[in-house]
Amino acid sequence: MNEPSVISRRDFLAKAGIGAGLVLGAPGMLRAATPGASDKIHIALIGMGKQGRVLFEAMANIPGLHFQAVCDIWGYNLKGGVAKVRALQGHTPNGYTDIDDLLAKEKGLDAAVIATPDFWHSPHTVKCLDAGLHVYCEKMMAHTIEAAREMVRAMERSGKLCQIGHQRRSNPRYRFTRERLIDGERICGRIINANGQWNRSLRASQDIAFNKKLAIDPAVLNRYGFKDMHQFMNWRTYRDLSGGPISDLGAHQIDIFNWFFGIAPKRVYASGGNDYFKDREHFDNVMCIFDYDTPQGGARAFYQVLTTTSAGGGFWESFMGTEGTIKISEIASNSAIYREDGAPPWDALVDRGLLRRQPAPPKPPPSADAVASYESAAPEVFELPGGFNKPAHQPHLENFFSAVRGEATLHCDARHAFESEAPIFWVNPSAHSRAPIELTPEHLAV
Amino acid sequence: MTDQETDRDESPLGLVFGALLLRLWLGMRALQTGLEKYAGTKATDQAVNIDGTPNTYGLSATTTVKHYALENYHGLPKALASKFEAEPLMSKAMLPLFDKLLGPAMILLGIAILLGIAQRVSLFFLGLLFTSLTWGLILIKQDDGVSWLATHLLLVVAALALAPHNRFTVLRKW
Repeated sequence: MNEPSVISRRDFLAKAGIGAGLVLGAPGMLRAATPGASDKIHIALIGMGKQGRVLFEAMANIPGLHFQAVCDIWGYNLKGGVAKVRALQGHTPNGYTDIDDLLAKEKGLDAAVIATPDFWHSPHTVKCLDAGLHVYCEKMMAHTIEAAREMVRAMERSGKLCQIGHQRRSNPRYRFTRERLIDGERICGRIINANGQWNRSLRASQDIAFNKKLAIDPAVLNRYGFKDMHQFMNWRTYRDLSGGPISDLGAHQIDIFNWFFGIAPKRVYASGGNDYFKDREHFDNVMCIFDYDTPQGGARAFYQVLTTTSAGGGFWESFMGTEGTIKISEIASNSAIYREDGAPPWDALVDRGLLRRQPAPPKPPPSADAVASYESAAPEVFELPGGFNKPAHQPHLENFFSAVRGEATLHCDARHAFESEAPIFWVNPSAHSRAPIELTPEHLAV
Repeated sequence: MTDQETDRDESPLGLVFGALLLRLWLGMRALQTGLEKYAGTKATDQAVNIDGTPNTYGLSATTTVKHYALENYHGLPKALASKFEAEPLMSKAMLPLFDKLLGPAMILLGIAILLGIAQRVSLFFLGLLFTSLTWGLILIKQDDGVSWLATHLLLVVAALALAPHNRFTVLRKW
């Protein structure tokens, strides 16, 4: 039986968020108006490693930006970053190996884009906010929940913008799915179950090698918190420097659970182990279950991150309801929407342009298998009405710079990012203790 | 009375039509093949309509449109060009030149054959072009392509044989 939802998002948030003061579904409380709409935004790029370059390539498509300074402790990254900026804007940005030096010398900066290792996110973000800059910082916010709390406090203390790089929050496909299909049309009916995974191949999970001729001076590495060059290149595998795969990969998708449900989970159970990479400090195979109390009733979300195998569709999230299931991914081809047999027809949604119907797959031949008689009818398959042709991070960066100009509100400011990330910090402890953790305001609040 | 006038007077109608049809076919084949070397596609994104108006989320649908422009020019298909380059008998200096000339040559010969400008010479050069392409395909063992071009060459030969029955020409000489 279909259960009509009578609770508005506002009611939902008010009821669900009382305990922890959460407002997960309504991000974007901040906007600024530092430069005029026609002025250039002067930017410092902090960290020009792989992710820093990904962000830069996305920013290169956004008009009105001026990359004034570049900072990276590794000369190789710094040189490459400076060259990329010069190639884009025709003149050389100022290069630094130390952020304090940069902040002391550079005048007229409006914003910093931070893509340093996770354990540096919080100190760098706090420094930049306190220096009066708006900040775009990569996720995961920090390697510890306390460091993440510091970022929220610094944002609120400084009054500056701080966007966290959960880029799906600005992805048109995700925003449309959440606002128009799940909340607007209640297309899934009552959502009972969510699933998500990031299955990454063994090849993609190997340690990152480096050219020994380009190695950083050990004294410099130590000054910036790295034991050696291997740790510098592979900080994601060390407990003191990152949260491991559940944080590095899982944060993107567990954020979607919390954002779409509009509420934080009340409990987490996790299991994990070093099932393949025996020498790594972080688990290479983690499974976790979050329990939610939604206004409509209980819901559970399962998430797995695996670093040995890419089969099973790579990475995606799905929301399974009484009337339909939405499977969504940053990769459009991994996405689909399924109408349950017996749910009201979606023809009107197709006519209005909210959905596109996918061609029906060929019917399998009748089976003599006795089990077949227990099978449900195959659901009809639909898809979103469109996609977008931009680098994945570009819409989120566009949102940040629009907010800096005072033309938009942030899609994922530090407070809302924290409220969504907080449960993730408790996955590894649950897996280590092999016990569920009841998530209280103490666990989840700033 | 000249020989040509004699030919015209004595041409059976079937052969005149045959000559015209072959001329049309070969001219069109050469002209359009040359023009296609300037063809490319242009992708444009358009906001999808929801409830009759363009959506505000940034969801778009990509429409691909074929268009012709000088900057789209590609003489030899890339896949074939790289195979030709690897052939020891292929002149590395001549290959880029051939690549540059192939499209314009096809267009000029196509126009000449369609309009009937120096019909026999034009057909002869078109035959040479097909022969040169055939040689390249023999080198890289594309037997299907060789047969395909041989068919074209037979049509050129037939057109040359029917040339005395050609009508409606701009320059009947040569």
